[in-house]
Amino acid sequence: MSILVDKNTRVLVHGITGLQASFHTKRMQAIGTNIVAGVSTHSAGTMHLGVPIFASAQEAVLKTRANASLLFVPAQNVKAAVKEALEAGIKLIVSIAYGVPIFDVMEIQKMLIAHDAVLIGPNTPGIITPGEACLGVFPENIHRKGSVGIVSRSSTLTYEAVLETNRAGLGQSTVLGIGDDMIAGCHLDRVIDLFHHDEKTKAIVLIGALGGTYEEEAATFYQKIQNKKPLIAYVTGFENDQEDIGYASDILTHGKTTIEDKKSLFKKAGAIVIESIDDLGDILKQIK
Amino acid sequence: MNIHEYQAKKLLKDFKINIPKGLISYTPLEAQKSALKISPAGPWVLKAQIQAGARAKGHFLGHKNKISGVEIINRFEDIRPMAEKMLGGMLWTPQTSQKGKLVSKIYVESFEKNQKTFYLSFVINRILSCITLLAANVTDNIVDLAQKSPNAVLRLNLDLHGRIKSKDIKHLANFLKLPEKSRPHLKTFVQNLSKAFVSLDATLLEINPVGLNDDMKFTALDAKISFDNNALFRHQDIALLQDDYETNENTLKALKCGFKYREFDEGNIGLIVNGDGLAFAVQDYLKQTGYKVACALNIKGGVDEQKISESLKIMMTSPKVEGIIINILGGFLRCNLVADGIISALSDIGLNMPLVVRFEGTNKESATEILQNHHFNVLMAQSLQDAVSKLTEAMKEDD
Repeated sequence: MSILVDKNTRVLVHGITGLQASFHTKRMQAIGTNIVAGVSTHSAGTMHLGVPIFASAQEAVLKTRANASLLFVPAQNVKAAVKEALEAGIKLIVSIAYGVPIFDVMEIQKMLIAHDAVLIGPNTPGIITPGEACLGVFPENIHRKGSVGIVSRSSTLTYEAVLETNRAGLGQSTVLGIGDDMIAGCHLDRVIDLFHHDEKTKAIVLIGALGGTYEEEAATFYQKIQNKKPLIAYVTGFENDQEDIGYASDILTHGKTTIEDKKSLFKKAGAIVIESIDDLGDILKQIK
Repeated sequence: MNIHEYQAKKLLKDFKINIPKGLISYTPLEAQKSALKISPAGPWVLKAQIQAGARAKGHFLGHKNKISGVEIINRFEDIRPMAEKMLGGMLWTPQTSQKGKLVSKIYVESFEKNQKTFYLSFVINRILSCITLLAANVTDNIVDLAQKSPNAVLRLNLDLHGRIKSKDIKHLANFLKLPEKSRPHLKTFVQNLSKAFVSLDATLLEINPVGLNDDMKFTALDAKISFDNNALFRHQDIALLQDDYETNENTLKALKCGFKYREFDEGNIGLIVNGDGLAFAVQDYLKQTGYKVACALNIKGGVDEQKISESLKIMMTSPKVEGIIINILGGFLRCNLVADGIISALSDIGLNMPLVVRFEGTNKESATEILQNHHFNVLMAQSLQDAVSKLTEAMKEDD
């Protein structure tokens, strides 16, 4: 088992004929991802990288029974693409795009609730279940099949965490980035819940960041779980980032939250908190 | 993106929000003329236009008598001398760096008498994915207040269109203890602000304070708007309001290459990464050794050797930087491209400080080879920890 994606996931790639999309589609196919169709208005009716191209998600789902969408569309078009995928009946969508307007993401959230669907991203490397399925732009050849579930707000640190789980000889069950936009489609607590119910996942690694209260939600959620799996949390960021416009958001969140605040919440919830990412491998070896 | 108070007020006026009469002024003489045009008898308010909050609590550096960023002037003849002190001065506020910010324009406004003032803002609620209206009866130290007595701040969640229900208006009026007669005006005022927030793709709209006068009219006495950079393509007119002078010179240079640059008050180490996470991770290691990050450059998405070279030069010519770590995790970005960029920069300006490079991922081997084939003393590291210890050792030797 794994969470959200596995070898049975039938992937539809939106914007598949683009340069970047083609490059990454090939890589995803190479690790065994079951890519069943593509959407592209210009190339409908043709084959690309061995998969049929359709004019709409609706048609692609009808003909190929695709059940997950990976969006390689520009940020401005993400809202429309999500709408199209949802209306075609798709329940899992991954959006790589960087720079989706916040109001668009809020509208997307509303649509997701109405359709009881999940969005990973935007601004995420995606999701990968090693050896089975990859929906995203992860670097190749670093993932190993295994038992650690990784969820992260930072894409580059996700890779560091993967390398650390390999070093500990554990590998990964599923790795996913929720993205580091102001509003994420899928929150950290939801992913912890999924990993908690996944038999294959023996330990969870969470990489948090400053800004917002996703970590607070996750810690509160984890605290309430009975028979917890070990959770290793790493929270980081630039404490004095002057660009942060957090002044009024600090009022919303009942005061300024620091990295230390977030860490202590995780400690209180029963998680193991690490001070630097390179400690992860050693900690994992201990709880093996 | 942030804009100045005078720009924000002009935008709000288009949404039928009441603002005091005011004019932007770049010289002391202009300030005097503006004052006369606004109100012949005064009093007036001179407001330094910098993009940082708490201006009234700040002061101009290098003056014996404390002059704040917001000064009320009663006599016409005092306008020009005060404007002379403000314009060209460095204004420090609790939200600026120690050096303060250069004031190059002041907003001259008529001073309005109000029977009551309060705090009002609209923000994006990241957890509930909605707009939240915040209100408080005080106008000072709101963040502290929110922390110590959460009930002193009212939070009303609005839908995506910013529509406000009548019961919410009633709730707000009761919370702010506003007179019965002011309530119809309150509804219009709040609805117009909400409309502005949504139409402008704002991430923050803060009116602190709102004033209520004897005619039961509400006025935005100050205004702060932050916009969603990702939505600026829908608002070309607003994108033009960006004030380049508000942005750090190096940040601008980096922006031209499409990269994000940050500078901090302390520290002497420069970081170049392709993803903020990598910079955070290095920072956490440095903390343990007592070193601090002076600046960080994120070249995420960069695929142009020339731009990478240009951005390296930004860091190497920064007077604060005494050592550099380049930490690249190749995926989308290929490591060899960064190596070419490094060599190109070093060939142009030489290497005058310790430089440690760590490559991981796509084309790591060829990238390492490129660096080793040149005579520059670039130190190669295998891990984050290795990078930090190699750099700190080299910096100690340099001393």
